[in-house]
Amino acid sequence: MTARSTKFGVDEKERFMLFLIAPAGIVLVCFEIIPILIGMNASFREWSLVNPQRTWVGPKQYIAVFTDPVFLKMVLPNTFVLMILSVGVSLALGLALASLLNRPFFGRAIMRTIILLPLTIAPVITATMMRWSFNDQFGVITIFLSYLGLPDVAWLSDRWPSFALVIMTDIWIWTPWFTIILLAAMQGLPPEPFEAARIDAATPWCIFRRVTLPMLRPVIIVCVLIRAIDAFRTFDQVWILTGGGPARSTEVFSVYAYVLAFVDLDIGRAAAAAGIGALIMLFVGVGLYRLVNRSMEVSR
Amino acid sequence: MIALALHALRRAIFAISIAAIFVVFVGPIAILGVTSIRPASGVFYIWRGTNFTFNNFVEVLHQSQVVEAMWNSFVLSTSATILSLGITVGSGYMLSRFGGWIQRSWFATIYIFRTVPYISWVLPLYLVNTRLGIYDTYVGLLLPHIAVHVCFFSWLMKGFFDGINPSMEYAALIDGCTRWGAFYRVALPAAMPGIAALAILCWLSTWNEFLFALILSGKRTPLITSTMAQFVTETGTEWNLMSATAVLAMMPALLVTIFGQKYVIRGLRM
Repeated sequence: MTARSTKFGVDEKERFMLFLIAPAGIVLVCFEIIPILIGMNASFREWSLVNPQRTWVGPKQYIAVFTDPVFLKMVLPNTFVLMILSVGVSLALGLALASLLNRPFFGRAIMRTIILLPLTIAPVITATMMRWSFNDQFGVITIFLSYLGLPDVAWLSDRWPSFALVIMTDIWIWTPWFTIILLAAMQGLPPEPFEAARIDAATPWCIFRRVTLPMLRPVIIVCVLIRAIDAFRTFDQVWILTGGGPARSTEVFSVYAYVLAFVDLDIGRAAAAAGIGALIMLFVGVGLYRLVNRSMEVSR
Repeated sequence: MIALALHALRRAIFAISIAAIFVVFVGPIAILGVTSIRPASGVFYIWRGTNFTFNNFVEVLHQSQVVEAMWNSFVLSTSATILSLGITVGSGYMLSRFGGWIQRSWFATIYIFRTVPYISWVLPLYLVNTRLGIYDTYVGLLLPHIAVHVCFFSWLMKGFFDGINPSMEYAALIDGCTRWGAFYRVALPAAMPGIAALAILCWLSTWNEFLFALILSGKRTPLITSTMAQFVTETGTEWNLMSATAVLAMMPALLVTIFGQKYVIRGLRM
C-alpha cells in the first residue's frame, strides 16, 4: 500500500520527507538519544548522587551488575517469567474471550465497555486496587477465598504469592487488549471458509483450530511482538504492589535500575543496569522483528 | 430431548462464563468504589451495610496536593497530546506514503527506540533535567513524554495512513497541488477521525504514565499518578482516602470508556 511513486523528482521528494520527520527527529535526538548517550557515559563512572566525583572506572559497574546475585537470581528470571507468562496467558485468555464475544447476545455492548476498563485505567490505580483487594487481613478477595475454605495465603509477604499477584494484575490489564484486537480481527475475517467448514460438519473446536487460528496468525504475531517488548519494562504494577519486595524477591529489571539510582543513589551502577537492559531489548527486539518478518512471508 | 438439554446446558455455560468475565473485570473496580465511600472506621469490615459517606472525597479535594496534581496532569496530558500528534502526523504520513532509504532508516530508528526500556533513558534524563534546571517543571515533563510518543504514535499513524487510499493525493498532485498541499489539504482532513482516536489514547497514556512522573516530577509539579503512589507507599493505611483519590484519578478513563468507546477501540486496532 505504500506509494512508491516515480513521477516525483528525487531531491525535492527527499527534502520533503526530511521536512516531515524533522520535528519528530529533533525531539527524539534531544530527549531520547542524547540521554541514552549520557547514560552510557555515566555507566563507566563511579557516580553517586551523594558523592559526585565521577571518576572513570571502565567496565567496573557492568561487572558489578553481572556479579550481583540479586540481578542474576532474582531480577533476570523474574523479568523473563513475567514477560512469558503475562504475554502467553493474556494471549490465550484474549483468544478465548474474543471467540466468546464474537457472537450476538444480550448485553454484548456492556461487556465490550467493561473489557475496555482495564486498558484505560492507569496501571497505578489497578495495582492499588489489587493491593487493597488482596490485603492480608482486610482484602475482600482474601476474605472471600478463605470463606470458600481455601487455605490462607499471605499474598504480599511471600515471594511466589506476591509475584503471582503481580503477574495476575498484568494479565488482568492486558487480556482485554488482546481481546479487543483479536475480536476486531475475527470480525474482519471472510465468512466463506467458516461456511465451508460447517458444511463439512467440523466441530467448533476444529473450526477454531484449523480455520480461525491460521487466519489470525499475522495479527497474533504482531500483538505478541508489541506486548513482549512492553512487558520487559513493566514497572508500575510491581512498584505499587510489592515495591520489589519481600527482600527484593519480586524485582524486575526496571525496578532494579530504579532502586539502584534513587534508593541506593548509585547513578553509575544504575546506568550500567539500564544499559544492560537496553542491550538485551535491542537483541530481543531485532530478533523478534526478524521472526515476524519471516513468518509473515511464510503465511502469505 | 437430549439435544434440547444439551442446548440448554450450552447456553447456561455461556451465560456463566459471561457473568464470570463481568465479575473479574468489574469486581476490583467495584471494591475500590465502595471503599471510597466508606467512613474511615468502616473500611476494614466488609459487611457495613449502608454506612456510606462522601466525606472522603471532600477531604481529598481539600488536600492542595491532590487538586494541584490533577490540574498538572490535565495540563500536561492536553499539551502533550496536541504537540505529540502535531509532530507525529507528518512522520507517520512519511512512513506510509514514501519509500527509499530515508523511510527505511527512520522506521528502523523508531522501531529500535520503541524497544528501549523507559528506565534506560529516563534515568539519565533526570540528570539532564537537573542540570538544565527544568527538573520538576512543565517543560521538563512535557518533552520526554513527547519523545516517547514519537515512537509510539508515528507507528500508529503509519498504520492509519496505510488504510487511507492515496489516490486523492495523487489527483491533487496532478492538479498542481504542492506536496505540502497534498498532505495538509487532502490527506490530513481524511485522517481526522483516526487522529481523534489517537488523541484520546495519547491523552490517557500521558495521564496514566507513572515512571516519568515518579522520576521527573517532584513537589513543585506533582502529577496524579506519582501522588497516588506516594499515598500507597507512605501512608499505606488510609484506604478510604486512597480509594477516593484513585476514583478521582480514574474519572477520565471512565468517561472515555463510556462516551468515547468507539474511538478507543479504533485507536487500539491500528
